[in-house]
Amino acid sequence: MTETGPIISATNLHKTYKMGRVKVPVLRGLSVSARKGEWVAILGASGSGKSTLLHLLGGLDRPDRGHKDTAIHFEGKPLGKMSRHELDRYRATQVGFVFQFYHLLPELRVLENVTVGAMVRHGLTGFLGAKHKVNRRATELLDAFGLGHRLRHRPGELSGGERQRVAIARALINQPRLLLADEPTGNLDRKTGEAILDSLAALREKLALTVVMVTHDQHVADRADRVIRLADGVVAPEGVPGAENASP
Amino acid sequence: MYQLLLTRKYLTSKVMPLLAMAAVTLSVATVLVTWSVMGGFLNTLLSSGRTLIGDVSIHWPNVGFPYYDDLIERLEADPQVAAAAPLIETFGVVALPDDQVHGVVVKGVDGPSYARVSGFDDSVWWRPIDEPLRKDRETREDPRLGGEGYHAGTDWNALLESGLTLSEPDGEAAVVPGIELSGWNFRRASGVYVPGAPAMSSRDGRTDYLNLFLPDGELTLHLMPLDSRGRGVETVTRTVPVANEFHSGIFEADSRTMFARLDLIQRMMKMDAAEKIVAPASPFVFDPASGELVQAQPEVVGVDPARVTTVLVRAAEGVPVESEAAIAAFRDRVADIYAEFAEAHQGEVPSSMSILVRSWRDQNRSMIAAVEKETGLVLFVFGLVCFTTVFLVLAIFWSMVSEKTKDIGILRSLGGSTAGIAALWLQYGAAVGTVGSGVGLIAAWLVVRNINEIHEWLGQNLGLVIWDPAVYYFFEIPSDMDWSKAATVVVAGVLTCLIGALIPAVRAGAMDPVRALRFE
Ligand SMILES: Nc1ncnc2c1ncn2[C@@H]1O[C@H](COP(=O)(O)OP(=O)(O)O)[C@@H](O)[C@H]1O
Ligand SMILES: [Mg+2]
Repeated sequence: MTETGPIISATNLHKTYKMGRVKVPVLRGLSVSARKGEWVAILGASGSGKSTLLHLLGGLDRPDRGHKDTAIHFEGKPLGKMSRHELDRYRATQVGFVFQFYHLLPELRVLENVTVGAMVRHGLTGFLGAKHKVNRRATELLDAFGLGHRLRHRPGELSGGERQRVAIARALINQPRLLLADEPTGNLDRKTGEAILDSLAALREKLALTVVMVTHDQHVADRADRVIRLADGVVAPEGVPGAENASP
Repeated sequence: MYQLLLTRKYLTSKVMPLLAMAAVTLSVATVLVTWSVMGGFLNTLLSSGRTLIGDVSIHWPNVGFPYYDDLIERLEADPQVAAAAPLIETFGVVALPDDQVHGVVVKGVDGPSYARVSGFDDSVWWRPIDEPLRKDRETREDPRLGGEGYHAGTDWNALLESGLTLSEPDGEAAVVPGIELSGWNFRRASGVYVPGAPAMSSRDGRTDYLNLFLPDGELTLHLMPLDSRGRGVETVTRTVPVANEFHSGIFEADSRTMFARLDLIQRMMKMDAAEKIVAPASPFVFDPASGELVQAQPEVVGVDPARVTTVLVRAAEGVPVESEAAIAAFRDRVADIYAEFAEAHQGEVPSSMSILVRSWRDQNRSMIAAVEKETGLVLFVFGLVCFTTVFLVLAIFWSMVSEKTKDIGILRSLGGSTAGIAALWLQYGAAVGTVGSGVGLIAAWLVVRNINEIHEWLGQNLGLVIWDPAVYYFFEIPSDMDWSKAATVVVAGVLTCLIGALIPAVRAGAMDPVRALRFE
């Protein structure tokens, strides 16, 4: 793999949901890719299949079969050939998810919500061995987000912006190569959203992270290196009005 | 690892697991209390049945066998045997001073040696006691406490001594009937016996109290010795003093058995040592000293040794006699010793082939069968309770998994596997089961330990008497927790939870992570 080659690339993705007997096609031959260290925004209306795409890229779901050349490659390896166990490992080690509604575990304290990702990855014995390092990394991440004094709070006691920062810290605890962010600012006011995007930008720089972010908000998309428009389950052609990639 | 963390967090922050735990706690406690109390009750019944029969008996009915002293010596020489004692068992008719007549089993025993093979010592009832029975703590109506009242002047020590030796203070042979035989001892709700003292108004208007305390009186005993063909020879009647009364805990025994001193029964049954005589050839012989004809005396040609019908054997300390196999082994050992004895006295004692050697289990067959049936019943109910708990836990865990769907999706997105998520819920089930069973065990232990107080409280405040001492024949509800039973029930409680959690756990593991994440 060369430095400039795509770290993740998806080709001809189809996804159809069945609602009873009605088939709802969501993705119809979508192809996207991201280079290493790149920040890609995928812009699309609500219901256009953005979350579906992220779930496929993150190995949480599989694309429809029976279409020619359908494949997702991570660093050249096809996800379609991975066993369930390998997919679990892929999510645990290479991918970090950030969701619109934070998705923190309400019973866990802030620090635990971050380290739980490492617990899933390492298992019991592995985690006990790495516990010290993991705790330090979690504290550093939370410190960087200005949450160093809230480690023992529960998610319910935090504001939306704080919760999303905890969620980002959790996504990064295992030092993944790829961050999949599903409308990370969709639930926040503009100012807080901007701050979150600032944090993301800084982290990407520092950790050489590849970020695939989906959003329905042009302003948010504008923060990325590259914007891909999603319409009718495929990438909308360049030059469509309003789809120009305005420079940040 | 995350399973441990989440198990702990879920346990402490949710109401649902408390419900599941409470279900397990209740089942475990219920089963343990029932099983312990029931088991204790049945054990008490069994050990009461053993009180007066020793471990093994060697028995030859009716005519009995001689040289029993030699047999006892041989038995007691064996390291497995602690003691052996002679006994005559026969049937008799007892006439009481108030004209009651009862058929009884008469057991002729030598007090001290009989006490070595049985619980006779402790069963002698009228004796001085310092502590009242549990239920008599407040009323202290037990005359044996030496309080005031009709029997204030009684010398309980002397009574006990008479009872243990089956002798009057002057050495006269006496009897010890069961405490229920006369019907004069009134059994109070507290479990104590108070000798009857009915008031009779006499013709001149005075009130007389009749002392119906049997140990102050005497009774008439009729025995009918049978010859070796089972034909009655003659009825032998004696009026004998009553030394004391006994209480074994088995109503049948206490109302239909009477102990008497061995030598008295031997004499009445004509089983005592007797001179063998030959009748003289002519009724008169010439006496050289006086030069006259005098009545001829029979010629003594030997001694017919004394006989008994039974020798009771008690196993030495450390020789197992509880289980079927163990007591059978000990019984066989006793039979072997008898065989040597029979060899030595060939022709004079029953052969080892025909003698009856029986263990305490052989003699209590029907009671043991009943006890085992009861235990089976308890186990059946136990199974039902477990079954119910499984479904309860299943329902509760099913709804908890639904409630936690989003958490499952999050964990899957972090890389959690199907097996890992299932393991989380199984572990959670095990934790709920362990805590629930542990609390149940402690609760059961507290209840069992204080069962008598609780029972009393129920009786006093709610009028609920489950174990009426007038029906059940002991003074306290046995309150021992059998720890092997406890372990069984606790393990079953944990397993119950695991089984109940299994299906919800599999469902949680198999959940589609994408749907779980979208779950609202
Ligand atoms: N599990 C599912 N079953 C049926 N329809 C679904 C399912 N998941 C998503 N959809 C539908 O697919 C479409 C795209 O969903 P999604 O990927 O969440 O869009 P977006 O994230 O762009 O809003 C929506 O119309 C949604 O209703
Ligand atoms: Mg979405």
